[in-house]
Amino acid sequence: MANIKLDIFRFDEAVDSVPHRDIVAVDVPETMTVLDALETAKAEVDGSISFRRSCRSAICGSCSMNINGVTGLACKTPCNTVMDEQGVIQVDPMPNFQPMRDLVVHMDPFWDKYTRLKPYLQPADKDEDHQTERRVSPEDMKKLVDVANCVMCATCYALCPVVSVDPSFAGPAAIAYAYRFIEDVRDSKREERLAQINEDYLWLCAHCYACSYCPKHVDPNDRIVDVKRATIKDRVMMNERGPRHALIVNKTVKQTGMLAETEVIQGTVGRFNFRGLLKVAPLGLRMAAKGKLPPPFVKPIPKVDEVRTIFDSLEVPVS
Amino acid sequence: MSATLLPEDRPADSHKRSHSAETKRYGFFPGCVAKESCKELFNSTMLLADKLGIELIELTAASCCGASVVNDTNRDIARVLNARTYAQAEALGLDDVITICSTCTGHMRAANKELLENEERMTQANSILGKFGAKYNGGVMVRHLLWMLIDDIGLDNLRKMVVRPLNGLKVAPFYGCHIIRPEKVNGWESARNPHSLEDVVAALGGEPVDYAGKTRCCGFHIQLEKDGVATSMVGQNMRMAKDKGAEAVITPCPLCHLALDGYQQDAASRWGRTDLPTFHLPQLVAFALGVPAEKLGLNKHLIDPRSIMVERDLIA
Ligand code: SF4
Ligand code: SF4
Ligand code: SF4
Ligand code: SF4
Ligand code: FES
Repeated sequence: MANIKLDIFRFDEAVDSVPHRDIVAVDVPETMTVLDALETAKAEVDGSISFRRSCRSAICGSCSMNINGVTGLACKTPCNTVMDEQGVIQVDPMPNFQPMRDLVVHMDPFWDKYTRLKPYLQPADKDEDHQTERRVSPEDMKKLVDVANCVMCATCYALCPVVSVDPSFAGPAAIAYAYRFIEDVRDSKREERLAQINEDYLWLCAHCYACSYCPKHVDPNDRIVDVKRATIKDRVMMNERGPRHALIVNKTVKQTGMLAETEVIQGTVGRFNFRGLLKVAPLGLRMAAKGKLPPPFVKPIPKVDEVRTIFDSLEVPVS
Repeated sequence: MSATLLPEDRPADSHKRSHSAETKRYGFFPGCVAKESCKELFNSTMLLADKLGIELIELTAASCCGASVVNDTNRDIARVLNARTYAQAEALGLDDVITICSTCTGHMRAANKELLENEERMTQANSILGKFGAKYNGGVMVRHLLWMLIDDIGLDNLRKMVVRPLNGLKVAPFYGCHIIRPEKVNGWESARNPHSLEDVVAALGGEPVDYAGKTRCCGFHIQLEKDGVATSMVGQNMRMAKDKGAEAVITPCPLCHLALDGYQQDAASRWGRTDLPTFHLPQLVAFALGVPAEKLGLNKHLIDPRSIMVERDLIA
C-alpha cells in the first residue's frame, strides 16, 4: 500500500472564475493506476471530483489527462511510475482544450475536426439492400489496422504544439483518420478526402513527433507523412506551399546534393509572389544586415552525379 | 519530480564506445545550414574540436540528409542518400559520424536504423551505391556532438577544461525535437525529461533554467507554410523560458537557432518581448574552454548575445 497524494486541478466553469488545487490523499496499492486512485478519491473522500472514464482498460479513450504535466491515459499509468518520493501525483486537464469541470474538458473542437472527415466508408455503389460483401485483401487491410486502433482519446491533439498556437490545424488524430479512409480500397472519395485534409492544413504539421506518444501506437506522425506522399502521388493541390516546398527541396538536393536555402524560400513562397516574398523580407533584411543570408547559389557537392543516380534509380516520376 | 521515463526499446548504439572515440578521429557531417546561413556554427565547432583535442574529419562529399522533406516525398531516396554518406565514412575508416544539427541527427539515425534492421533495404541501398562503386557495410553510428561531449569527453573532464566559467549565466536549453523524438530512433536519454544540455551548461559554470518549452517544437519546418504559426511557436516557448528567469538560450540545432533567433522580434506582438539571445551549443562550450569570443561569430546573431555577456562579466 502507498499513501498517494493526488494534487488535483479543481475548476467548475459554472461557478468559478479561477481554478484552484486540492490535495487528496488515498491509500491504494502503488501498482494501481492513476485512474484507480482518482476513483478511490471520489468514492471515499470527495464525490465532486470530476473526470471522464468508462472502460478502465485503454479502450474507450475517455480518461486522457495531464499526469505530472505529461498527457496520457490515466487508466494506463500505474501510480508507482509517476509518483514522487512523497507519493504526490499532479493531475490536470488536457492542454489545448477549454476546461469544463476539474479534469473534464470541452472536446468539441476535436470532434468537429473529426466529423469534417466524414469518417465512414463511402463506396462507389450504395448497395442499399446490403447484398454484397465488401472484401479487402489482408495486405490492403494491414495498412489500416494500426490507425483503426485509434480510441480518439485526443492525447495527441493535446500534445500538438501547432494546435496550441493555431486551432485551425486539423491535428494529428484527424489526419491519421483521414488516412484510414484515403487508403481504404473500398472507398470512392480518395480525391475529395485528400483535397479536404489539405485544406485543413495537412502541411502545417511541424514534424515534432510529440504525437508519437499515442497510447495506442497509431503513430499519427508517420500517417501524416503517408498522407503527404499520397497528395503528391495523386498530384492534389500541387500549387499550395506544402507540395511546392517538398518538390523544390527535392529538386535542389538532386541538383546540388544540398538543400539550397535561398532557392527553397523563393520556390515555396513563389518567385513572383511579391507580397509573399515581402512578408519574409523584413527577416531577410535583418539577416542580411548581419551577413547571415544563405548564398544565392549553392555549389554542387563533389561527386554530385552519384546523388543524381540515387534519385534516378528511385524516383517515381514527379516533375 | 516526474519519474524519468526511458524508452522501452533503446537503440543498441545509444551509449556504445566507437573506434573513433578511441582514436579521437571522428567523421563529421555538418549539414546544409551550418554551411549556408549558420556558418558561425561550423566555425565554432572546428575551434571547439581543437580545444578538445579531437579531429573532426568532414565528409565533404556527403549530401544533405534529406531532412523531413525528401522523406515526405520518398523515403527510399532519403535512406539511400544517407547510406551513401555512411559508405564515405567507412571508406575513410571511421565508424562514428558526428552531427551538429538535431534534425540531421534524427533523420540520419532513422535511416541508419532502417538499413541495419532490414536486410532488404540494405540490399536495395547497396545495389544503387554499387552503380558508382560504393558500398555500406553497416558499420557506422550517428551521434550528435552533444552526446559525444558527454559520453567520450565526459562532464568531469569538461568541467576541468573550463577556463572561463559562465559566472552563473542563466541559460535555458532548447533541444529541438529530432534529437530526442522519436525515442525509438534516438533514445540516448529520456525525451520527456532530458537533461544533457542542462548538465553541459552546469559543467561550464552556468545555471540551467528549467521550463516546459525545452522539449517543444520551434516550428522551423513550417515557417513558410502559413504566416505567423512558427513565429507564435517560438514566442510561446521563449515566453516560458523568460518567465523562468532565462537570460539566454542554448540549442544543439541550427534550424531551431534560425527560428529562435529570427522570430522572437515578430512574436512580441502576441507573446510580449522576450529578446533572448541564443547560443549554438559549440559556441558556448568553446567560449568557456577559452576560444576568444571574437572568433565565435556572435555578431552574426540577430539578437546579439554580447550585451548579456558583458553584464555577466564574461567579456569586456
Ligand atoms: S491517434 Fe492515438 S493519441 Fe491520438 S486520439 Fe487516436 S489513440 Fe489517441
Ligand atoms: S508531429 Fe505534427 S501533428 Fe504530431 S504533434 Fe507534432 S506538429 Fe502535431
Ligand atoms: S537536417 Fe537540414 S541542415 Fe541537416 S543536413 Fe538535413 S537539410 Fe541539411
Ligand atoms: S524544434 Fe522544430 S526545427 Fe528544431 S528540430 Fe524540432 S521540429 Fe526541427
Ligand atoms: S477509461 Fe477508457 S481509456 Fe481510460
